[in-house]
Amino acid sequence: MMATKGTDVFDGSVDEFRTQVRQWLSENVPAEKLRPWTTREGFDQHRQWERTLFEGGYAAVDWPVEYEGLGAGLRHTITFAEEYYRARAPERVNMGGLYLLGPVLMQYGTEEQRRRWIPDLLSCSTVWCQGFSEPGAGSDLGSLRTRADRDGDHYVVNGQKIWTSMGGFADWIFALVRTDPEAAKKRKHAGISFLCIDLRSPGVEVRPLTMVDGTQGFAEVFFTDVRVPVENVVGKVDQGWQIAMSTLGFERGAVFGDHAKFSNDVAALAGLVRQRGFTDDTLALDELGRVLVTTEVYRANVYRLAALSEAGGDLDRTASINKLYWTEMQHDIFATGLRLMAEEGAVIGDPGTIGRDDPVTAHAWQEWHHRYWYARAAMIFGGTSEIQRNIISERVLGLPKEPRPS
Amino acid sequence: MTGNVDTDRRQLDEVTTELLERYSGVDHLRARIDVGAVHSPELWRRFADTGLLSALIQEDRGGAGLTPQHLPGVLHAMGYHAVPEPFLETAVLGATAFEAFSDHPESSARLEALAEGELIVGIRLSHLDPYVVFGEDADLVLDIEAEGRVTAYRPEELEVEGLNAVDPLRPVARVTPRGAGEVLGTSPRIATRLRTLAVAGAACQLAGAARRLVDMTVEYVSVRHQFDRPVGSFQAVKHKIADVAVGVDMAEAAAASALGDLTQDDAAHRAAVAKAYAGQAADRANVEALQLHGGTGFTWEYHLHFWLKRVMSLSAAYGTTTTHRRALAQDLLTHMNKEQ
Repeated sequence: MMATKGTDVFDGSVDEFRTQVRQWLSENVPAEKLRPWTTREGFDQHRQWERTLFEGGYAAVDWPVEYEGLGAGLRHTITFAEEYYRARAPERVNMGGLYLLGPVLMQYGTEEQRRRWIPDLLSCSTVWCQGFSEPGAGSDLGSLRTRADRDGDHYVVNGQKIWTSMGGFADWIFALVRTDPEAAKKRKHAGISFLCIDLRSPGVEVRPLTMVDGTQGFAEVFFTDVRVPVENVVGKVDQGWQIAMSTLGFERGAVFGDHAKFSNDVAALAGLVRQRGFTDDTLALDELGRVLVTTEVYRANVYRLAALSEAGGDLDRTASINKLYWTEMQHDIFATGLRLMAEEGAVIGDPGTIGRDDPVTAHAWQEWHHRYWYARAAMIFGGTSEIQRNIISERVLGLPKEPRPS
Repeated sequence: MTGNVDTDRRQLDEVTTELLERYSGVDHLRARIDVGAVHSPELWRRFADTGLLSALIQEDRGGAGLTPQHLPGVLHAMGYHAVPEPFLETAVLGATAFEAFSDHPESSARLEALAEGELIVGIRLSHLDPYVVFGEDADLVLDIEAEGRVTAYRPEELEVEGLNAVDPLRPVARVTPRGAGEVLGTSPRIATRLRTLAVAGAACQLAGAARRLVDMTVEYVSVRHQFDRPVGSFQAVKHKIADVAVGVDMAEAAAASALGDLTQDDAAHRAAVAKAYAGQAADRANVEALQLHGGTGFTWEYHLHFWLKRVMSLSAAYGTTTTHRRALAQDLLTHMNKEQ
C-alpha cells in the first residue's frame, strides 16, 4: 500500500501515521540483514531497499509534496524515523542526495535542474556523493583548487577531491570548483561554484580508498579535462560558497528522529552488560547509565529543536552544538561497548556467536566495530569537532576571533 | 495569564528575571552573608507579592493555577541568580503536596499562608537525600517516603542541626523527627510526583547556575588580556568554553523536558535523566570557569564562588549524577528482562 500524501494526513495526531508506517515497515523490511553497503553486493541491496522505500512513498517523508515527498511536518518526520529504527530497517545510502543536494536544488536550483535530477535522486536510480574536501583543503575548505575553466557552453574541470563518502558507488558528484581562480587572490571564498558532474564522464577517475576497517567506504576522485555542461552549475556562477555553507548546515543540523537509532544502540549496550554478566557491577552500570542519559538528553533536544522550528525559530545557531554533541555521544556509545566487551574487545566476533534472542543480535559484534569506526569518522566529516568548537565559541558565544594569519 | 503555556511562560520568565536582577543581585548575596541570615523576609515578601509563591496554587484559592510546565524558566532563573531562598521546596514541592492532599483539614490554611509568604517548607526525600535545605528556617518539614507516606513535622517536633554547608547561601540541615508528625496522606503516585518535581526542579536550577558560569567566563576571557590579546581569542580557551556551553545547552533542553507533562509514564525517567546530565554539565562548567578565571576566580572579592558552590551543592541534592545513572541503568535492564 502506498503512503498517503499531503497535509490533511498530517493535521491530526501522529498515532494514525505511526500505525500506517509500522504496518508498511513490517511488510517490507527485508527479513535477512543486508550485506554491508561498503561491498558492491551490499550496496546494490541497499539501493534496492531505497527503491522499495520510494515505491512505498517513504523515500523522503519530510520533502514537500511538489517534489514527491510526503509533505510531513516535523512531528511526523520524527515518528517515521522512530518507527524506521524500531523496525531495524536498513541503513540509508542516499542521505547525501536526499538531505544535502535535495534541499540545495529546492532552494537554489532551476526548474529544469529539479526536473532533471530530483526524480532519480528520490528513487535512488542516481546515487550522489559530495565533492568538497581536497588534499590541501580539509578544515580550510576555502583553499580548494579544483578548477573549472569555461570553454564555450562547457566547463573543463581539472583537480582532485578526496575523502568522498560512497565515492566508489556513486553515479554523480556535487562538487565545489573554482570558476574564477583570479578572484581567490582577493578573497579566498570568492569565485567558487557548485557544480554537478556525471562520474561516468571521460576524464573522471575514481579510486576507492580502503578505510581502517578494511572496507571501501570512501574514495579519491580525479578530474582530468572533464567537460561539464554549463547548465550543471547550481545557483549563481562564482557564488557557490554560500550554498556550500548551507549544505554543511544541513549536514550538521538535527536529523529529526535519529535519537531512535541511538536508543537501539543503548538497548544493545544493555544487552552486552547482561551478556557479560555485569548487571551487578556498579562501574558497568555507571557507564551504561551515562550513555543512556546522554542519548535521552539528545532526544529531549530533538524535540526542543522541532518545537523551535515549528515556532519559526532559527536553527542555524544550533547546528554546530548539535553536531558536536551527537558525534561525541555516538563515540561514547561504541567506545563504551568495546570497553564492556573486555577481553572480547580484542576479537571481531562472528555474528553467529551471539544468541538470536539477544538484542545484541541486531548489532553483531562485527557491526559494532563498523559503527565504532564510523563514530570516529563522524568527529571529522562535515567539519571536525575542533571546527565546531571554533564556530560555537565565536558565532554562538561571541568570543573574540582568533587573529587570522595574514 | 493567557492560557497559552508558551506565552504565560515567557511572561513569567520576564517578571522573574526582572525581580531577581533588581533584588537578588550580587549585593544581596553578599548582604545575606554579612548579616548572617540567608533567608530574607523582604525578598520572600516580594516573591509573594509578585505571585511567584502561589504560581501552582489553584485559582479558586487565589493562586495562579499554573502547572510545573510553566516553571522551567523560573527555576532556571533561581539558579542563574543563585537565589538564596527555598523556592523549589516551598512554592513548588510544598504547594504541590498541599494541593494534592487538599482533603487534609490543614491544607487550605497552609496554602494560604504559603501564598502570603508566611510558611516556609523544608523537604526531606529520605531515600534520595538525607538533608533538608533551609531546614533551620522551615515552618514545616515534609518527609516524603518512597512508599508514598507524606508526613508533616512542625519545628517543635524536630531536632534540627544546621550543617557546615558547601554553599553558604544554600544552607542544609540534618533533621531528626522527635514526634509522630502528622500524616498528610499516603499515595505512591503523589510521592512519586513530588520526588520527580524535586529532581526536575533541581536540574533546572543547576542548568541555570551552570549557564551563569558560562556567561561569566565568556565575559571575563573577553576582557582579560595577555600577550596583547583577549585570552578568549586563544583556541585552547575557546574550546574549553565551547565544550562547557554545549553541555549547558543540552542540560537546559533536558531540564525543560523534565518539567513537561508530569502525567506521562516517563516523567520520573525524564527527571532523573535531566538531573544526571545537569550534574555532569555543571561539574564541567565549575572546573573550567574557575580555571579560566585564573587567580581572580579564587578571590572572595570576586563573585564567581557563589556559582561554583551553588552547582556543587545542587549536584549533591536530590540524587547525584551517579545515583540517577545507576538507577536508570537498572531500570533499563529490568525493563529488558520483562520484555523477554
